[in-house]
Amino acid sequence: MKDKIDFSLVRALLRKQRQERHFAYAKGNFDALGFFLRLVLVGIFVAVFVVFFGQFMEIYLQQRTNNLLNPDARLYEILTFAYLVILVAMTFGGVSAITREIFLADDMKVFSAMPVSAKTLFVAKLITIYRSQLLIGLLAVFTVNGTALLHYQAELWFYLSSVALCFVLPLISIALASIIALPYFMLRQYIMPRFVLMFIVITFLAAMAIWLYSLLLGMVEHMLSGDRDWTYFFDESVMNVIRTAVSYCYPANWMASLIMQRNVLTCSIGITILVAVCIAITMLVIGNILTRILQSRISGDVNFIYPAQDVGERQTTTAALLKKEFVMIFRTPSYMFSYFSVALLMPLMTYFCMNVAGSLISSTVGIAFDFSVELAVFLTLLFSALTNVFCSTNISREGSMLYTVKALPVSHGQFFFSKVIFCMLVTVVSQTISAIVLAATGYVNWLVALFLFAVGVVFSFAQICFATRYDFNHARFSTEDDGEIKEAGSTASTIIVLGMVVSFLIGIATIVVKMVLSFNAGGETASFDYLTYLIVGGSVIFVAALACIYLVFRLKRKYYEFSGGGLL
Amino acid sequence: MAYYNQPNGAPVAGAQRPKSERKEVVRVKGLCKKYSKNADWAVKNISFSCFEGEIVGLLGHNGAGKSTTIKCLEGMLPYERGEIAIAGHDIQKDPLAAKANMGFVTDNHAVFIKMTGMQYINFMADVYKVPTQLRVKRLAALEKVFQLGSAIHNLVSSYSHGMRQKVCMMASLIHHPKLWILDEPMTGLDPRTMKAVQDFMRRYAAAGNTIIFSSHALNTVAKLCDRVVLIRKGKQLNEINVKQICAMNPNFDFEEYFLRNERQD
Repeated sequence: MKDKIDFSLVRALLRKQRQERHFAYAKGNFDALGFFLRLVLVGIFVAVFVVFFGQFMEIYLQQRTNNLLNPDARLYEILTFAYLVILVAMTFGGVSAITREIFLADDMKVFSAMPVSAKTLFVAKLITIYRSQLLIGLLAVFTVNGTALLHYQAELWFYLSSVALCFVLPLISIALASIIALPYFMLRQYIMPRFVLMFIVITFLAAMAIWLYSLLLGMVEHMLSGDRDWTYFFDESVMNVIRTAVSYCYPANWMASLIMQRNVLTCSIGITILVAVCIAITMLVIGNILTRILQSRISGDVNFIYPAQDVGERQTTTAALLKKEFVMIFRTPSYMFSYFSVALLMPLMTYFCMNVAGSLISSTVGIAFDFSVELAVFLTLLFSALTNVFCSTNISREGSMLYTVKALPVSHGQFFFSKVIFCMLVTVVSQTISAIVLAATGYVNWLVALFLFAVGVVFSFAQICFATRYDFNHARFSTEDDGEIKEAGSTASTIIVLGMVVSFLIGIATIVVKMVLSFNAGGETASFDYLTYLIVGGSVIFVAALACIYLVFRLKRKYYEFSGGGLL
Repeated sequence: MAYYNQPNGAPVAGAQRPKSERKEVVRVKGLCKKYSKNADWAVKNISFSCFEGEIVGLLGHNGAGKSTTIKCLEGMLPYERGEIAIAGHDIQKDPLAAKANMGFVTDNHAVFIKMTGMQYINFMADVYKVPTQLRVKRLAALEKVFQLGSAIHNLVSSYSHGMRQKVCMMASLIHHPKLWILDEPMTGLDPRTMKAVQDFMRRYAAAGNTIIFSSHALNTVAKLCDRVVLIRKGKQLNEINVKQICAMNPNFDFEEYFLRNERQD
């Protein structure tokens, strides 16, 4: 890296990235519904966090050590842990950003052949990574510190140091991420061509995330139940452990100290030295990685090696299309996760949510009312809807190959039948696991589990039919070299919203109807169970019939006249 | 390529037979295609026929309408007016029967890239209902021409441009179609494979099959084609019998002829 930095070129490279981003927001490409959904999701996440973190903070600040109240010390401990979690999360985010922007960036191959110096590229890439990290830092720190303000009389120092912290955190996280990035990338390159191993790893990690999420939900439920006597939990020994742990949580404890104006000088010096070291590490490691990539010593290309296969036995056209569908999904990591892993994990989500929501309803409405069936129906429909969102890419996923298939002696019936049948196979597996889990854990009896299975399958069928046809009418093919759809478009957003609304309407309708009738009958719920089966069964069959008609309506003509997708 | 010969080893007479005895494999009559309502005609009033054992070239500059014509022929794109029949089957009224008689190679070498070459060929063989024994035999014959070697077991996504082209060609021939349509077939091929493909095309046509292909390589077109359909700005300029002209005038310069036609227009 003996070459000089050309700042005009740095600006040009950043402009190129900005233009690419603007293209995604241009008219016709912008997924307004999806953007709104993401915004709402982040809003809900922040709001829920502020409410529950605020409640927890209120409880924790009242904890005593040596029989003394010391809210400032408790706040310092909370902030230390919070900043540590933010730093860890940002480091993972940093690894992802480095992989995306440096290892797998399409422009790296182009730049390696252009008169762009490694240093110039280095600065441009680093600015991009820092910017993405800064955004995460701002959102996380402002949420945590904003919540702290509910219980802390802040001075100007608090606000100023919070802003400074947002700028410092990415410097540390990028340095840590740069150290992890290369081993992570090597591991990724090892796992990528081994599809079965990758499926196991992805599914296992997602299952762990869901398990952690369920723990969090359990805590939320515990807090909502009104049992706020945490004194037994935070006894003297636990508080000692916390204090010891906090004293080792570098550099998060320095940051918390600085914000709380404790040992300002020592912490400032500590953070300054750390930042300097981090910048040096980043320059060294990222610079080294970049040079290797530009010299083609590291490549994002994956070498897939397969044992030689003989010419296969003859299969029917539908079987060949089904096999093709499986191969195309299973060998694309993002598709594999979005569909197969999610379909396997959704039963777990149903179980965990059943656990939490059941207790919530009992504590809110009263133990006398049994809404377990209605709740199970609602959750089954909701998670069926979320699992089948992937079907909203059934046609767009084909890309330009749709035209190739059109030129083959494959009828429109065979083509769409194979799509629907494949999704139904995945759904049946997912619904079977879900029903077995709910029955085996005693939330519902086996007969109700069978009903849930049937309802889930019919509702999924409706969603698959609707999503497939909707995607066919609004197909948008990927312009990527590999034809992979990198971001869910407006079709996916529409299917999510529609699926959630329908499952919510059916699920809530049964709960409300049963509740009203039960109140009138003095709390007797069992005699109204038949109503639940009637409403849910009738509704899903009606929805499935509508979706089926929507799928087949003028399908043959539309298929042979198809010239969409945006690639022609 | 004994496979494409008669059981006694002699080549199947195709092109050798008099034209009156040969069946019409492709009939395009008054083909008109627009990409949108307000757009200009991408192709207008294209008409030509192809017979058994013929190699017909579609020639024109970039954007002339060659690929559009081919995509309509393959049934990939709908068209506004006209008629296309493959082996007597109308591509719009009886699409499955028409498509069962043809194999095609697209200009963008579209393949399912997450499959191995072998899996893709098997997929095509399944779709065209080729029995297992026959596909083994055909694959061995095709391998001799295209020489993909052990790379056939690798993912198509790892293939070079030329290798994708080869696997596309092999897959398009696995059902031994009466009509073989190729859009810019020589692009990306190395000289040795290009020569092998050209020889194969001649033999395939001589076996009584029909080949339609588009190309910019005028020499290749002149060497291979029996007839050439010239297209310019979506309209059919001329249809010339290259073989006949070359037989009458051994010094006929096809390149000069083509460029003169372009200038006159």
